[in-house]
Amino acid sequence: MENTGDKRTAREIITGYTGPKLRIMEVCGTHTHEIFRLGIRALLPKNIELISGPGCPVCVTPTGYIDEAIWLAKEKSATICTFGDLVRVPGSSKSLAGERAEGGHIQVVYSPLDAEIYAKEHPGEQVVFLSVGFETTTPASCLAVKQAIEDGLDNFSILTANKTMPSAYYALKDSVDVYLYPGHVNAITGTKLCESLVADGISGVVAGFTAKELMTALAAAIIKSQEGKPFFVNAYPRVVTREGSREAQKIVADMMEPCDAQWRGLGVIKNSGMKLRSAYGLYDARCKYQIPAIEGHENPACRCGEVLQGKCKSSDCPLFGKNCTPEHPVGACMVSNEGACSAYYSYANM
Amino acid sequence: MSETVTLAHGAGGRQTSELIDRVFKSHFSNSDLTADDAAVLTPPAGRMAMTTDGFIVSPAFFAGGNIGKLSICGTVNDLSCMGAKPLYLTCSFVIEEGFEMEKLEQIADAMAKTAAECGVRIVAGDTKVAGKGQVDGVFITTTGVGEIPDGVETSGAKAKPGDVILVTGDIGRHGCTILLEREDFGIDAKVTSDCAPLWNCVKAMLEVTKDIHVIRDATRGGVGTVLYEIAGQSNVGVKIDSEKVPVEPQVKGVCRMLGLEPLYLACEGRLVVVVPREHANEVLTTLKNCKYSEGAAVIGEITKEHAKSVVMTTEIGSQTMLPRPGGELLPRIC
Repeated sequence: MENTGDKRTAREIITGYTGPKLRIMEVCGTHTHEIFRLGIRALLPKNIELISGPGCPVCVTPTGYIDEAIWLAKEKSATICTFGDLVRVPGSSKSLAGERAEGGHIQVVYSPLDAEIYAKEHPGEQVVFLSVGFETTTPASCLAVKQAIEDGLDNFSILTANKTMPSAYYALKDSVDVYLYPGHVNAITGTKLCESLVADGISGVVAGFTAKELMTALAAAIIKSQEGKPFFVNAYPRVVTREGSREAQKIVADMMEPCDAQWRGLGVIKNSGMKLRSAYGLYDARCKYQIPAIEGHENPACRCGEVLQGKCKSSDCPLFGKNCTPEHPVGACMVSNEGACSAYYSYANM
Repeated sequence: MSETVTLAHGAGGRQTSELIDRVFKSHFSNSDLTADDAAVLTPPAGRMAMTTDGFIVSPAFFAGGNIGKLSICGTVNDLSCMGAKPLYLTCSFVIEEGFEMEKLEQIADAMAKTAAECGVRIVAGDTKVAGKGQVDGVFITTTGVGEIPDGVETSGAKAKPGDVILVTGDIGRHGCTILLEREDFGIDAKVTSDCAPLWNCVKAMLEVTKDIHVIRDATRGGVGTVLYEIAGQSNVGVKIDSEKVPVEPQVKGVCRMLGLEPLYLACEGRLVVVVPREHANEVLTTLKNCKYSEGAAVIGEITKEHAKSVVMTTEIGSQTMLPRPGGELLPRIC
């Protein structure tokens, strides 16, 4: 990171900010959780607004996707392998947990490769991995498909809902002055993209995940924004390089291609998703099982979408803390502990 | 004799006697444990504490102990939390058909050693064998009786503003150990369960002062749950400093990877102690000189403000609420 010559500590810069209102959006669920856990919000002056953006994969998963997974479990008797958080996300009529209670075979795994191994060990079952996530997890889904091909499996496929962050940055740019870019994503993609965002008037700071890294990133956002022009700072240089991980980029580019994707709360964003290329159709659950078009229905009172865009706070939602709690989530933001509503609920404003 | 437990071992006949003789009598032998239907005991002179606990941990053997050691520690520690000197225990086994006899002996051996260490006698027991798949390995229930010395009155409802909060060592190791033993995560870290009998630590504290307000063992829900229980029962606030809560680096690392809060990981050999401020230093020094509580530390204090809540000073010096305990605890850790 460049030296600005400022001798104040990050904390002094943050707490001493007296400039115009500044809207900073963290777009990573881990950032949301750490910011709450560390009590960073309590330090912020009134004129800094921290918005929890759409960076938790569970939170942006649309109900229709859950409905597709349930359809596979029910109609095709498929074994659904999924990350644990997704199990409790409400679909149109029920969650995967609800489907499991009715006899659906839902298996929690910790990585896409675990799902591939499960398929190998259970040749009698048709296994579908729920492939959600951003640039950080997409390469692992590709690896799992590659492994399945090498192992000659015909009982493994993935249901993609993989998303890429850049389109979301554009979609939300009017609600935000500075983004805290997710360090893990930039570790894969590099920072070239952040530089091109500057050309389009979008500012941001790549942030790490420790207390020190987050405070430094916030301080950098404050100082640079006072210069009055779009900027980009890499405040996580120990991990993030300009080029990113070439291997990860290559495997994704080889096996997947962009597609339109629906984001819970944001609607369909053009070219913001990734799906397997047609050469891998046998491993794409939508092609393999000819899943019919399913339009999901969300609870109309749920305001997760507006929360994700920073248009309202979790506590403004009529369901928050009443009908919607971490034990009984209505909206996706209450499910994962990286979700904005769950973090608000757990760490209650002091 | 066969090398696995069979249904015949639970049928009450000759093979049952064989099992009892070989495994239980040989390890638990003491003058109060007889072949009669019930133990005949001398009641304690003072007030009596009594408690019971079931143990179904999976896996039954883990780094730092096994289900047998755990079943003694759990009940001994519950009695100790009331300031009660553990006197007698009973134990009841439900064993799955096909369970290895050698493992059962290891379990009984661990129980005997742990009981001896804290001077408690196993005075009665029961053995049942269940068909394959009806239980998982072995389940143990222990019931304990202890004697409370005059003047000792600990309770979760007795914390007072100004009191000092201690833990008797680094937290979260048992939960972390079980998590890693299940191998679901493919994480390779050397963590050993903190499973330990704590009567001697409590005894040493009571020798410093009988005026200890709260003693709680932080089991399933971890230290965080205990702190919320104390805040609720005593209608006070709990304020802790996250930097002062001892957590082993390995446990911290695993928690970071899995997004877990160490304060909510189970312990099986750690107490949360609330003492009047004037005794805090002496209690701390005493604990540091006891086996199993060498790593004791002051982690916070009881406050009038924020009643029924736990407030935490974070590593950046800001304050936040400790999230309330949720329902998502790891199953079958004890």
